[in-house]
Amino acid sequence: MTIHGLWVISKAGGLVFSRSYSDVLPPQPVNTILTLAGILHGIHAITAKLTPTPIPGVPVSGLESFEAEGWGGKVFLTPTGTKFVVLHSLPQAGLDELLRRIYEIYSDAVMKNPFHTPEMPINSSLFESKLQTLMSSVNA
Amino acid sequence: MSQSIGYSTTPPTSSSRFSLQSITSSSSSSNTTTNTPNPPSLYSTTNQNPSSNRRESARSNIIPSGQGNSSLQQQIFGSNNNLIIQQQQQQQQYVNILDRPLNKSKNSEIALSSWAFMFSEIISYSQSRVDSVTDLEKRLSSLGYQVGQRILSLILLRNTQTLNLKDPKREYRLIPILQFIHTQIYKFIFGKSADGLEKSSESEDEYMLISNESPLTQFISVPKDMSDLSCEAFTAGLVESVLDGLDLPARVTAHWVGDQYPDTPQRTVILIKLDGKVMDREEVLGK
Repeated sequence: MTIHGLWVISKAGGLVFSRSYSDVLPPQPVNTILTLAGILHGIHAITAKLTPTPIPGVPVSGLESFEAEGWGGKVFLTPTGTKFVVLHSLPQAGLDELLRRIYEIYSDAVMKNPFHTPEMPINSSLFESKLQTLMSSVNA
Repeated sequence: MSQSIGYSTTPPTSSSRFSLQSITSSSSSSNTTTNTPNPPSLYSTTNQNPSSNRRESARSNIIPSGQGNSSLQQQIFGSNNNLIIQQQQQQQQYVNILDRPLNKSKNSEIALSSWAFMFSEIISYSQSRVDSVTDLEKRLSSLGYQVGQRILSLILLRNTQTLNLKDPKREYRLIPILQFIHTQIYKFIFGKSADGLEKSSESEDEYMLISNESPLTQFISVPKDMSDLSCEAFTAGLVESVLDGLDLPARVTAHWVGDQYPDTPQRTVILIKLDGKVMDREEVLGK
């Protein structure tokens, strides 16, 4: 029951925020994470294209989660195309609720901040401190 | 002296910046009718003669969607019943902010999110038109100043109307006015009073309004390279105009002090430095 990390991927596929919340996640250079986030964005686009029976008019969501031994990732797509990716240990309950809370914090602390430029890396101390509080309550 | 202050909602100073002509004129008329239990609605929606009401005619100028035309036609071609009915129905459907009764405060709140997005846009807009942090604060402060003038007039008018007094009370001493801002003005704008009102220990003429988390700026995090910017400059301008309107000229600035208070990282102090003449007057008036 641990949240290892969080990525925020912009609608163009660029990584705008990444933070790790546990010490078991091996530290990666920023460039590696950028590449991984780009690949994930591509896989998401491909899976959305491959959906066998798309309902006309309803956007397809694509990749929703992935799993490996002992850990997994959950992808949350907002209506505007921003993606939140949570890396977590398995099994993990309450991920949907957690992602909704992250989205809420994002809307409050990032979108309502006049000093944030859309599609650019997130540089908000408020966003980070609110996330930190949320993650420590989950990881506790 | 207090008599004349009590009856006037026009701030004695800076009347050139004060642009709410229609509110002043309506308040003087409402004072003559304070004996009636409910003061008549100033901008009644069933006004049959739009050209006689200044506010009404101003509204039809603002709304270009045929309403102005219909009242014009009415004037030229005499009263056409169909047109009047149509106009009344339109007015009932879209109650314009200028048509709402001034003394009603119910259902006039707006969502915090919509405010936050608008304020965020105001700041980005202002930021692209200034060169320095000081100029940005000045711009925000002057915007707040205009808001404060309107809020002061509105609150004083509403207080007069709801209390239904023949001789409405109006504060003119320093401390009661500061308390009026701390509770009434703050409650009106933010829905809660300020978290503290303190007197500076260093100088006699400085007072501080403290808020731990202002609803206006709670979502804003200022980047490190502009760390001395406080978006509460808007509130500072607002407080300054209220003080100005009550004849207490002061220089009001906002300062972020959250770094000294780890429990409340958004703590902001609105510093009020009063004009020398205010302190002189307080001394003359005595205790």
